[in-house]
Amino acid sequence: MNSDFKYHISRRDLLVAGAGLAVSASLPPARASTVDERSIKIAPGQTRLGGSDRPSTAVWAYNSAVPGPKLRLRQGRSVRITVENGLDEDTTVHWHGIRLPNAMDGVPGLTQPPIKPGETFVYEFTPPDAGTFWYHPHTDSLVQLGRGLAGPLIVDEAEPVLVDRDLLWLLQDWRLAADGQIAGGFGGAMDASMSGRVGNAVTINGRAPADLGVRTGERVRLRLVNAALARMMALRFEGHRPIVVAIDGQPCDPHEPENGRLLLAPAMRIDIALDMQGDPGSRHAVIDDFYGGLAYTLTNLAYDKVSPLRAHPLDASVGLPRNPLPEPDLANAMHHEIVLQGGMMGGGKLAGVGGMPGMGMPGMNGGAAWAINGMSMTGDGHAGMAPQFTLERGASCHLTMRNETAWWHPMHVHGFSLSVLSRNGAPVPHRQWQDTVLMAPKDVIECAFVADNPGDWMLHCHVADHQMAGLMTVFRVK
Amino acid sequence: MKLTYRLAALALLISTPMPAFAATIDAVMYKNPSCSCCETYAAYLERNGFKVDIKPTNDLSQVSARLGVPADLEGCHSVVVGGYVVDGFVPVDVVKKMLVEHPAITGIAMAGMPMGSPGMRGQKTESWKIYAFTRDGKAPTVYATE
Repeated sequence: MNSDFKYHISRRDLLVAGAGLAVSASLPPARASTVDERSIKIAPGQTRLGGSDRPSTAVWAYNSAVPGPKLRLRQGRSVRITVENGLDEDTTVHWHGIRLPNAMDGVPGLTQPPIKPGETFVYEFTPPDAGTFWYHPHTDSLVQLGRGLAGPLIVDEAEPVLVDRDLLWLLQDWRLAADGQIAGGFGGAMDASMSGRVGNAVTINGRAPADLGVRTGERVRLRLVNAALARMMALRFEGHRPIVVAIDGQPCDPHEPENGRLLLAPAMRIDIALDMQGDPGSRHAVIDDFYGGLAYTLTNLAYDKVSPLRAHPLDASVGLPRNPLPEPDLANAMHHEIVLQGGMMGGGKLAGVGGMPGMGMPGMNGGAAWAINGMSMTGDGHAGMAPQFTLERGASCHLTMRNETAWWHPMHVHGFSLSVLSRNGAPVPHRQWQDTVLMAPKDVIECAFVADNPGDWMLHCHVADHQMAGLMTVFRVK
Repeated sequence: MKLTYRLAALALLISTPMPAFAATIDAVMYKNPSCSCCETYAAYLERNGFKVDIKPTNDLSQVSARLGVPADLEGCHSVVVGGYVVDGFVPVDVVKKMLVEHPAITGIAMAGMPMGSPGMRGQKTESWKIYAFTRDGKAPTVYATE
């Protein structure tokens, strides 16, 4: 309890020192004075990924649940979340996508001391944006996320959105051994320098997917969260036309995805509106065909035989109210560039930063496999990470991200949402804001944001193996 | 007798230059679905008398481990051919040598994806060691040096 007290004090000190006040100055004030109180205990546990009649798998869990409990918060209302660490190793919680004070961001060493075994940390923030977010560890990320630690965080709009059902699919990907337990071998060189630890069993909300029962005529808001370590997904809803209404929690102009495929990389969220227009009694596959030659049916939409809920789809717009994001001033923006380097088939560019000179295979013997602007920051975050660049508070930043590698990278920025301007020279339509921007091999992305939140913030690839092996950097807002 | 006959036929098959219509050696390649250098290697094998059935897999390290490849020799693909495992960009003459000699091993591997090897770009700048490995837990031994 002593340590509990200590961390409690230090958090308040940090808040008073400026971070909390600074954010509240640029974000809308809380609507209510009452504070939501939540608590999460992290501990080893058991879960039945295959269903109640299947053998159980040893996992690490938030409140004994995989995924962790759904945190449903109100936009603009403060929440205080007490996190207790019942693991045998340090942990932290990162509230992925929430624009919050730096001291609440959950990066060990950089924004807080790690929560040691048996200790407690109190996170306190006021979510400024409504939308679909999630939470996960930022300590020993590869192992802790890979053993099941992930949970959904939904911030409700002030006014309810008109849909018949609001559903969530938190997608996890497990590498299971033949005995149904989580396979060892975390952090192998091949995974580190190629596509990361992609697994062999995908779950929806912690279970092997069963059919989703639907009714003709209903409108569903489906919140997709990719909480996998490394598995990219490209989802197609056969016979249906999903409308993307938000990406990474931020509403966009409603649109159909290109070729009807929803590209959902690790840590990304996509909210879709689905008007169920199939015939009563019909069944339609939801297919993930991201990896060539490895397409599979994730689940099926199974229509009830009852008569349609309504004769015609709802007339109401599927658009969501926009969040209070500050608009970057591009004409006066500071320009910075991030270049992603390394990996298998990286052309030996990593020589000198961990890759073996003259060899095509970096990442051997636990060394760095990747770099950003020639610098490999490995692990989960630690004290003394020198910022790649510094921004004056309130300045607009025009950020170019250049993927020189042969691999896909979902690049996640902490503390901000990025207005995505263009991809490979072509403007990105639909007013998309993202905290996790998926880059295909050789992609060049232009994006922008307002540096309204002071602190040292992380920018890293969310393929956990890639982050651990060097695809990470830090920038500072003064 | 049968085995001797088969070996002799195989030796004949792979010691003579192959005309286009010659019989081919069937091989199965397990590879990361996103890796293109493996495809370059598969094409190299096909140019040299093999028929390669490519099987993409997302848990290659588990497949390779099941095939008996030691973790520190594991490459971005594993090829099963003639009852052996070939891991990494092993030059085709070494593969053929193994198929003819028929040693009592599980397979051979060349770690590290060196520049200039089949599948990788660039010039060969050093000598390569191809290791033989077995499933009995003994340390790999050098099978060939190129």
